[in-house]
Amino acid sequence: MALRFEILGRFNRARAAQLTLPHFTCQTPLFMPVGTQGTIKGLTTQQLEEIGCQIILGNTYHLALRPTSELIDELGGLHKFMNWPRAMLTDSGGFQMVSLLHLADITEKGVTFQSPVDGKPMLLTPEESIQIQNRIGADIIMALDDVVKTTITGPRIEEAMYRTLRWIDRCIAAHKRPHEQNLFGIVQGGLDPVLRDICVRGLVDRNLPGYAIGGLAGGEDKDSFWRVVAQCTASLPEDKPRYVMGVGYPLDIVVCSALGADMYDCVYPTRTARFGTALIPEGVLKLKHQAMADDTRPIDPTCDCMVCRNYSRAYIHCLVTKDAMGSQLLSFHNLYYMMKLSRDLHSSIVRGQFPEFVRKFLLRMFPHGDVPQWVCNAMEVAGIDISSCCAPMSSPLTSEICEVGFTKLSEIE
Amino acid sequence: MKFAVKAWSNGKARTGFLQLGNCPAAIDTPALLLSTRKGLPHFISPDLLPSLPSPDSHLLQFSPLHFLEGPSSKTISNIGGLQHLLGLHEYGFAAVARDSVQSLPECDATNKFGASFETTCGRRLIRPVEYIEMISSMKPDIWASLADEVPSWVSDKRNKTSVDRTVKWLDECIALNSTGGAVFGAIVGGNDLEERQRCAVEVVKRNVSGYWIGGFGFGESMDERPSLLDAVTDVLPEEMPRMICGLGLPGIVFQSFGVEVV
Repeated sequence: MALRFEILGRFNRARAAQLTLPHFTCQTPLFMPVGTQGTIKGLTTQQLEEIGCQIILGNTYHLALRPTSELIDELGGLHKFMNWPRAMLTDSGGFQMVSLLHLADITEKGVTFQSPVDGKPMLLTPEESIQIQNRIGADIIMALDDVVKTTITGPRIEEAMYRTLRWIDRCIAAHKRPHEQNLFGIVQGGLDPVLRDICVRGLVDRNLPGYAIGGLAGGEDKDSFWRVVAQCTASLPEDKPRYVMGVGYPLDIVVCSALGADMYDCVYPTRTARFGTALIPEGVLKLKHQAMADDTRPIDPTCDCMVCRNYSRAYIHCLVTKDAMGSQLLSFHNLYYMMKLSRDLHSSIVRGQFPEFVRKFLLRMFPHGDVPQWVCNAMEVAGIDISSCCAPMSSPLTSEICEVGFTKLSEIE
Repeated sequence: MKFAVKAWSNGKARTGFLQLGNCPAAIDTPALLLSTRKGLPHFISPDLLPSLPSPDSHLLQFSPLHFLEGPSSKTISNIGGLQHLLGLHEYGFAAVARDSVQSLPECDATNKFGASFETTCGRRLIRPVEYIEMISSMKPDIWASLADEVPSWVSDKRNKTSVDRTVKWLDECIALNSTGGAVFGAIVGGNDLEERQRCAVEVVKRNVSGYWIGGFGFGESMDERPSLLDAVTDVLPEEMPRMICGLGLPGIVFQSFGVEVV
């Protein structure tokens, strides 16, 4: 184990902690931006530090193909290669094979996929995934799991869960740098509480440095989503970090944090930036919208980021989706927003003001009191009273009355 | 804008300094203008600009035509001009209608009313009155007058016309101008020494703060350039700054003795 996890404050299930990793001491809850190929698109590492990023993600699959893990190793590891002094996490590479490649085939040996280089079949085994991640050298490495679509049902879910458990032992055995890198196991089991329970218990028995909740954020309904998170966080050990994979909508992060999760990653903030959408406390602001063309206000008047201090919506409007600078500036703003959200979650829990923070957050996002039912359900389990945020007789029409250019997050999920 | 020559070489080259209202310090000349897209240097966001050498990197060249699709002149004016639009308060801006990528002169479509450019939003004819409206809203420190730039292979007649129009548009720009920015009179004339000289002589007669030498990078050979530049700089008053664009590679810049801002 190469980490220390100290809980600094709690509110019911929610917790704020200090996570000490080999390269950085982080404050949780935290969001990790995704830097697929050794770079967060459009931002320098200097900017990421300024924004307050603590951990960034690298994708093993992409890095192994180019520049190859051997070269990264030779050049002193990914930290040095991309000039990032803070913490880093790499995924196993399995998810990209399944999501990016049509011809991925999963057997007991590993994931067979078609090489994007020459089309030949290639095999990624649990051992190989760990070896590659050992060479890349991130603070946290992920076990190779058997990934299935959340929306799938039937025996395949069960098979994948048991295989994930068998593979974790092969990952542990292959891990050569346990004192410098932390291997996290991934809880699978689809939306089935029984399977999730077996998987959690199996992983906890292995006493890993941290645990991830996988197989979510893939199009399942929101009630199923939060219930799986709630179930897993309830049975995972208190003194280990919990990472919900693929979660990046601000509302989801607030809900998961209330349920006791600590870490999140998603391409959403940066990807949506490249498509011209800014994250704001009210939801999202679509800068491509014609209404922005002559709007002299900043993206978010309450935001202190470099972009909001300097630029009008009108200027960003003329850049988005045409000039690289549009992506650069919006990515900066969106990541700043996510880091601010992480800091606010942490400090409100530490100060004992978490319920107030949640209520304020929901009031700004749902000024008409139309908080989605799944959020209300989750908050009840989290023991946070949000009745003051919910309109007593919420009519479905209220959600349509919003300022031009604003869209509720729930509409684009 | 303040400009002074400090020293001459044995030949025509000279050093000096340029002081613009908002730059933290005077910029030594010869100086390089950073090219921009919609006012910001390519790929360098404003928080990273201070990592470039100061004050030398505080001189930015932009094309008002990059904003044809918006924000509107009225909006830019409401925001307080380009410096405020871009949040670059300690930078000097020089406006030139053309750039080398997204706003290219299209001499076949240019006519007596205005200059035509191939832009990202199609081919656009810009008349002096429209150009000055953009300049007035953007409030650059320096702006070059509208020019009819033609490639080196056009007929003598067309080249003569380009000089006549450029001088006429300079008069119109000066008459319409209501901003405090320094006007740089555009000098064209292709690769015809006499036309270059004729244009320079006419522009020198006008009330301008400096000179913008255009019409380069349009098919003339590199060997022709020194004599063409000589013909122009011989005519220009020594105490005024000279700006040139379209030269391209750093090696080529060395040919431009006697010009301040590249």
